[in-house]
Amino acid sequence: MLVEEEKIKQQLAERFGLPAEKITVQRERRIWADVPAAEFGEIFDYAVDKLGFVILATITGLDEGPTLGVIYHIARESGIILNLHISVPKDKPVIKTVSARFPAADAYEREMVDLLGMQVEGLPPGNRYPLPDGWPEGQYPLRKDWKSDTIGKTPVSPESGASRGKEVEEDA
Amino acid sequence: MLKEPESFLLTLRGEKITDMTVRLGYNHRGIEKACEQRTYIQDMYLVERVCGICSHSHSTCFIQAVEEITGLQVPKRGLYIRTLISELERIHSHLLWLGVAGHEIGFDTLLMYTWRDRELVMDILAIISGNRVNYGMNTIGGVRRDITAEQIPQILSAIDTLEERTKYYIQVGTQEITLRERLSGVGALSKEDATHLGAVGPTARASNVDRDVRRDDPYAVYGELSFKVITDNHNDVYGRTLVRLGELMESYKLVRQIIKQMPEGPIVVKAPRKIPAGQAISRYEAPRGEDVHYVKANGSDKPERVKVRAPTLANVQVVAHMLKDGYLADTPIVIAAIDPCFSCTDRAIATTNIDNGRTDRMDWPTLRTYGIDWYSKQGIDFAELNRKLRTMRESN
Amino acid sequence: MGLVQKIVTWARIKSPWIIHFNTGACNACDIEIIAALTPIYDVERFGVILRGTPRHADVLVCSGPVTRQIKDRLIRIYEQMPEPKFVVAVGTCACSGGVFNGCYNVEGGIDQVIPVSAYIPGCPASPKAIIDGVVKLLASVDNASKPAKEAVVSGT
Repeated sequence: MLVEEEKIKQQLAERFGLPAEKITVQRERRIWADVPAAEFGEIFDYAVDKLGFVILATITGLDEGPTLGVIYHIARESGIILNLHISVPKDKPVIKTVSARFPAADAYEREMVDLLGMQVEGLPPGNRYPLPDGWPEGQYPLRKDWKSDTIGKTPVSPESGASRGKEVEEDA
Repeated sequence: MLKEPESFLLTLRGEKITDMTVRLGYNHRGIEKACEQRTYIQDMYLVERVCGICSHSHSTCFIQAVEEITGLQVPKRGLYIRTLISELERIHSHLLWLGVAGHEIGFDTLLMYTWRDRELVMDILAIISGNRVNYGMNTIGGVRRDITAEQIPQILSAIDTLEERTKYYIQVGTQEITLRERLSGVGALSKEDATHLGAVGPTARASNVDRDVRRDDPYAVYGELSFKVITDNHNDVYGRTLVRLGELMESYKLVRQIIKQMPEGPIVVKAPRKIPAGQAISRYEAPRGEDVHYVKANGSDKPERVKVRAPTLANVQVVAHMLKDGYLADTPIVIAAIDPCFSCTDRAIATTNIDNGRTDRMDWPTLRTYGIDWYSKQGIDFAELNRKLRTMRESN
Repeated sequence: MGLVQKIVTWARIKSPWIIHFNTGACNACDIEIIAALTPIYDVERFGVILRGTPRHADVLVCSGPVTRQIKDRLIRIYEQMPEPKFVVAVGTCACSGGVFNGCYNVEGGIDQVIPVSAYIPGCPASPKAIIDGVVKLLASVDNASKPAKEAVVSGT
């Protein structure tokens, strides 16, 4: 039943010497692999170019405490998803862009830059996403220690002449 | 002075676009962070509101991940009801799109008719779920409301009517020269570019990219249903229109199958409040394309991480490519043709002219009017078609 | 008063020209606002027109919880409207931030940024509630055309 999934697990394990317990076939069409950050580039290219994982579904960034995690969710056209997870130290969270191969990765990587403070090498110049201009430096909303009310409401500019509304009794 | 970041920056040479960048983030509400601070049930309501047009898509995609982590087996009837709502949502969304697309090119009769037809679906959704939009049908482990015997003939009758009307729109779409001329060659996207740039949904399928999550990575009961994935090789906005029309017809067939095959039985299985540690990735074919949710659970009643990749984020990065070497006048319909899940009527557009260095700012309605007038001067005008359709429909 | 009668009264008070603006909403309220203007409800027959530009509008119909990025644009639009002008907050998000209250990129409702004349709750607000709310707003304004900064209305 999970013949193809097990085969992929084996190919990855053998090719890169990955321990079997780091690759899990969760169910049909779902494989999770924990791979060393240093070898990620090679493993990624192999999965995309040789194993047929040609669709980049998305990239998820996570705060794991001492590290920042990144999961690359890549899929085959037949539906199997390979989730490649790496961790990088939080005090030096550097990864390389995959946007040359997948232009769509641009947005997913910028999201990690803005929301987690990731540093992505090789990202072409462009607008930030998704936070607004003027968002204070060093404030990374998706980090676990960041509180939602850290940044107060933006002040209403005095030139605008707009005033705050008032609440009045409801008219029954 | 108050700063207004533009959403779209177009570089023009004369009337042609040489470059384009999109600035996103206007709809960034911080949902993923909020999800970590709320329980799974609260997050269900929050995630439903990522996008009001495809709210069931986001809700289902999220819940599927949670159910997978927990190891819950949703009862068959519950899954059938979920799938029914999914297809009804696709129908309302595609009809909405047809109307919006018509509006962007000056074909307002299409807006009036499709949105009137759409009310049939809205009524059915309201009867089934209690709300026209944001149906709240899902819960972890199944659905919250059952379909009753009385509702079934109503659903089927609405589908019959809509199928007739959609056949009419297909006729208009394929036979009216004005529409074909207006949409053909616009927003060109080759199959290679669609694949390379990661386009999803009808936008990709109109460039002959044969991908649909319902068939490729089946969820809910799609594994038990028979349907065609509609592709087209026009590689342009005309193709995107045909794909959505074709998908409407498939959805009507799917609704009938679902109703016919729906088994009796429970609609929900009890879910624990605390979700055991684990992770899952869930995919869903929303009306706009592939929706992806990742959920990581940590054994508490709140998720560790929720990641949402809506289909529009994938497609909006393709728009710049589609507009290059196109005319400024095409901008509204090309952007509308990816069926963006942000309210594009409010977006400011800035243009820089290479030849004279002038920068202009436009709001969307001004750009739409510019496009309609520009094409009108080329002889492509919908006034006649609007008139013709009104008299035809009124005489039926 | 029946719904049709309400609309007729409203149209007599004024034929309001409306501008619709989404401040970061999920689109549900937006499509209900537009649905209020198409054949089933069809308020255009009463002189209500959806304009694209604030310079010709009487009523700003606003959805969304106001994200940081859009805030300045909302203020600019409000300022461009000539007096007398009214602001209608459509949907629970526009009234109070709704489900997004407390989210870091959200101001928490239209009235955190500009004065609101009418609040129409609902998630989303239905087309009937929207029409009802706008009618109540205009009925509460006297014909001397003073801006009603403090009128609050609830839709049903």
